[in-house]
Amino acid sequence: MIIDIACAVFNVLFTGLFVLGLAGLLTWVERKQSAVMQDRIGANRADLFGWDPKFLRPIRRLGLFHPIADGLKMILKEDHVPPNANKALFNLAPFVSIFFALIAFAAIPFSDRFVVGGHEAAIQVAPMNVGVLYIFAVLSMGIYGVFLAGYASKNNWAFLGGIRASALMLSAEIAIGVSIIGVIMTYGSLEIGEIVRAQQSSPDDLLLGFLPKWGIIMQPLGFIIFLAAGIAATKRIPFDMPEGESEIIGYFVEYSGMKFGMFMMTDFVETIVIAGLTAALFLGGWHIPYFYPEQATAAVVILQALVFILKVAFMCWFMILVRWTLPRFRYDQAMRFGWMALLPLALVNIVLTGIMKVLVSG
Amino acid sequence: MPTLTIDGQQVTVPEKTNVIEAAKTLGIEIPHYCYHPGLSVAGNCRMCMVEIEKAPKLAIGCFTPCTEGMVVFTNTEKVKQARKDVLEFLLSNHPLDCPVCDQAGECWLQIYYMQHGQYESRMMENKIKKSKKATSIGPHVNLDQERCVLCGRCVRFCDEITKTHELGIFGRGNREELDVFPGKQLDNRYSGNVVDICPVGALTDRDFRFQVRVWYLGVQDSVCPGCSRGCNIQIHYNRNRPHHGHGRRVARLKPRYNSHVNQFWMCDEGRYGYKFVDAGDRIISPMLRRGAELQMATWGETLAASAERIRAVNPSQIGVIAWPQLTNEELYLVRRLFVDGLGCKNVSFSVPSKKDGGGDDFLITADKNPNTRGAGEIGLPIADSTGDILQAASRGEFKLLHIFGHDLLSSGLDQPLVESALAATETVIFQGSNSHLTVDRADIVLPSATFAEKSGSFTNFEGRVQRIHEAVPPLGDALPDWQILNRMARALEMGWDYQGTEHIFKELAENVAAFSGLSYCVLGDQGELLGYKPTNEAHIPTEPVTTVII
Amino acid sequence: MNSSPEHNKRDYGLWQRTYVPEVFGGLAITARHFFVNLKNHIRRLIGRKDAAPGAVTFQYPEQRRPLAPRLRSLHRLTKREDGSPRCVACMMCETICPARCIYIVATEHPDPNIEKMPEQFTIDLGRCVFCGYCVEACPEDAIRMDTGILEFASYTRENMIYTIDQLLSHETAKPDAQDTQ
Repeated sequence: MIIDIACAVFNVLFTGLFVLGLAGLLTWVERKQSAVMQDRIGANRADLFGWDPKFLRPIRRLGLFHPIADGLKMILKEDHVPPNANKALFNLAPFVSIFFALIAFAAIPFSDRFVVGGHEAAIQVAPMNVGVLYIFAVLSMGIYGVFLAGYASKNNWAFLGGIRASALMLSAEIAIGVSIIGVIMTYGSLEIGEIVRAQQSSPDDLLLGFLPKWGIIMQPLGFIIFLAAGIAATKRIPFDMPEGESEIIGYFVEYSGMKFGMFMMTDFVETIVIAGLTAALFLGGWHIPYFYPEQATAAVVILQALVFILKVAFMCWFMILVRWTLPRFRYDQAMRFGWMALLPLALVNIVLTGIMKVLVSG
Repeated sequence: MPTLTIDGQQVTVPEKTNVIEAAKTLGIEIPHYCYHPGLSVAGNCRMCMVEIEKAPKLAIGCFTPCTEGMVVFTNTEKVKQARKDVLEFLLSNHPLDCPVCDQAGECWLQIYYMQHGQYESRMMENKIKKSKKATSIGPHVNLDQERCVLCGRCVRFCDEITKTHELGIFGRGNREELDVFPGKQLDNRYSGNVVDICPVGALTDRDFRFQVRVWYLGVQDSVCPGCSRGCNIQIHYNRNRPHHGHGRRVARLKPRYNSHVNQFWMCDEGRYGYKFVDAGDRIISPMLRRGAELQMATWGETLAASAERIRAVNPSQIGVIAWPQLTNEELYLVRRLFVDGLGCKNVSFSVPSKKDGGGDDFLITADKNPNTRGAGEIGLPIADSTGDILQAASRGEFKLLHIFGHDLLSSGLDQPLVESALAATETVIFQGSNSHLTVDRADIVLPSATFAEKSGSFTNFEGRVQRIHEAVPPLGDALPDWQILNRMARALEMGWDYQGTEHIFKELAENVAAFSGLSYCVLGDQGELLGYKPTNEAHIPTEPVTTVII
Repeated sequence: MNSSPEHNKRDYGLWQRTYVPEVFGGLAITARHFFVNLKNHIRRLIGRKDAAPGAVTFQYPEQRRPLAPRLRSLHRLTKREDGSPRCVACMMCETICPARCIYIVATEHPDPNIEKMPEQFTIDLGRCVFCGYCVEACPEDAIRMDTGILEFASYTRENMIYTIDQLLSHETAKPDAQDTQ
């Protein structure tokens, strides 16, 4: 019992800190990665209130104080509520937004099951047999935060931004859902841990003799659809037309201070969630190819968690790469892309998967 | 009346007209320096060379009288080359002073160089340095010998017009210099004219020195208010760059050609007498006496107070001292308001001056007011002289005294009389442009515009009615006197509605016999005599308006 | 039909219209920049002096771009050998100035061979458009825009007005420039 509680507390703390820490770090990564991609150096000026000792110089040069400065700025800025806004909803919206983004990660496992003190455990907050469904449910709740923000601001531009955001997330999440069906059909489970285990291949079960049965290999079309729709679901460039700070402005135009910061955080958390999902569903989760541990020892568990984190980090890097490479879609283009390209392709993917399954098993 | 051909155009001119004047009637400009239509012909600059058919050499246009059948060319290659060569000689010792020279912008060396010169300098030797540079040779004129082209216009002016003979040309060859005779000063009463006629920057105006560059100046035709001659002038004003000329808007006055009045000239007294326009003592706001002090007020308050006090007294208890510095239009309104409107019988206008006006036999007259004749023709004074009015006032016969412009306390009037008159009168209304001792004694002060700030007309002592035009807007809250009178009449509910000075002048011409037949159109820019008889023909100015190169 | 003009349309092949390959092409370019620059940054970090720089930017306040020789920067008034301004208050610059930001008040110079000099020479940099006409119009080479001073932002309009003393105190950024003849 105590071990169970200890495991749960550890998992919640670990996952929570991981997601929030990575989200904070992503603001820095985003700055620096874009700078390196664009032959720049990037933010490197923030220091500790003018205190600039030699031993902190490398951190300063890397711009690592900037996330702290950002946080401080967000907290200290005036938190303005427009006089005509619906106060309760206006204040609620960012919490709704970030809450659902954060709890989505509960269903994503960092490691395989292992035995500790006679109890079976895994680095996963909530192992549940409907994990995939849970994530979709929670992610689609995120629309409420966004739409409430647009609605409660009593600002026509914010309202239109909220509508654009809802339409975009709707079209993206349907495509995500349908593209995942192929994965579920392939691995035969809704529990994410099971899906990851199904991707582990024993030496005699390798595809064509050398490829692990990862989702990206079994479901290449599904992977691309999922990734595209996933990026759309995060509302970031190239699908940032709900926000469009530089010109069309969006649902959080009336927000300031930390509430604005929470919306920004939501975007990063959603990025991590999509990256985690991609890693779990398509990149074999904690699985290390060609590595077949006899037993789940502590070292193996740590290794698995590290590998999973590495895969998540890679996917984050990739999504930021996409964000700094592609220009923004127009609203109609994004809608056409979601409904007329991603969704039909996802449906085709289901049919193809079915045919392949019949052909292989028959 | 010989008929000749200039550049292919035929023209008939009076006997003894020279080629420059004949060409001018055709609109052809022959460049020249020493020739001036108001002076004798010297023929020494050699700039006005023209080609005459059957003549062996080029001839100078200024000294060649027109003859029957003469064929003149002013624009052939030979002529152009001659002008270029003359310019090269004139400029060989001319300093590169244009940046610091006040003449720059209205300098005929610059103008003709741009039109005819445009050569590369071939001058190898050092330029001759002359002795006097930026030296004042009189109260108003600065001399720079290096800039002089030795045309001699100024010397001839002093010999022929003023006959004071201050200037001469000394030395020989390229060391020739213009200078005043030893022990003399260029201090005659018309010395400023040598600046106007100097085609280059040798003689410049000390008053105008470094004040404003000439290309910043705007020009408005007007009439000098300095004496009853009414010399035609141009007001040169600077409205856009107030940091120049110490913020003075009127930068200088220049004479304007009028064959009937002043020819090409004006006196120094008039030329430098414009400073009151932008002086610090200008009254820029209406004022009312509250308690012991004159305090600033609005036009509405001031005019209402004036009307109330005028209404409160019997018209026979009002004394008016009008001002011959007012235009015909304004004096007419004074008569309309006080005499015709209110029935006031005590209106005068002339106030004797403390010192003698010092008239001469050329332009300057003893009467220092430009419109004394006009005031008389319009019907002022009604009954008494200013002295009589003041006598009556000091006896306490007047409750209200309306004084226009005059400084009675520094005039030639009996000062104790003025004092007692001002003291005995209940209300003194002063209407004028500049502050002085009399203003301090007023109960109501109405600020009016100066001659440069209003339109209208003056009648000179010969009876010539001439237009003045607004060059700059009235300073501060000041208004032209005709507008003040118009507003005051409205405050007195007389139903006036004058829209402009032309409106008033039209009525004046209809109601005052001496002005009948005159209109602003008839006056033109040269004026017209009283008693003008309109013909059925369209109005032709008595003499063509000539563009005079000064 | 689309209302856009024909020349705005481009013929995309089927390959391009599928979008995905082109996206990956773009990603390849940006990723290449990322890795090449990262490699150069790291090589520099470990002390390899021969490594190419990882960024093309200048670290502005400490590190400045070289100024072009013809650049028009903050004005200065040149001086005679005795330190007095070369300016003779001819008003050429004030006249040519399209922004009307030069205000000169002339006064008498004690030397009659110089004759005229500025009592005030004020430039309102809040209005100046840096066209350089004043420099070109000047017959005395008295005003130049070669100080290399580019930072003169201010919190007040008054501070943008430069008087004759300030303008005379500016030095040229070109050490070989001839100030006096």
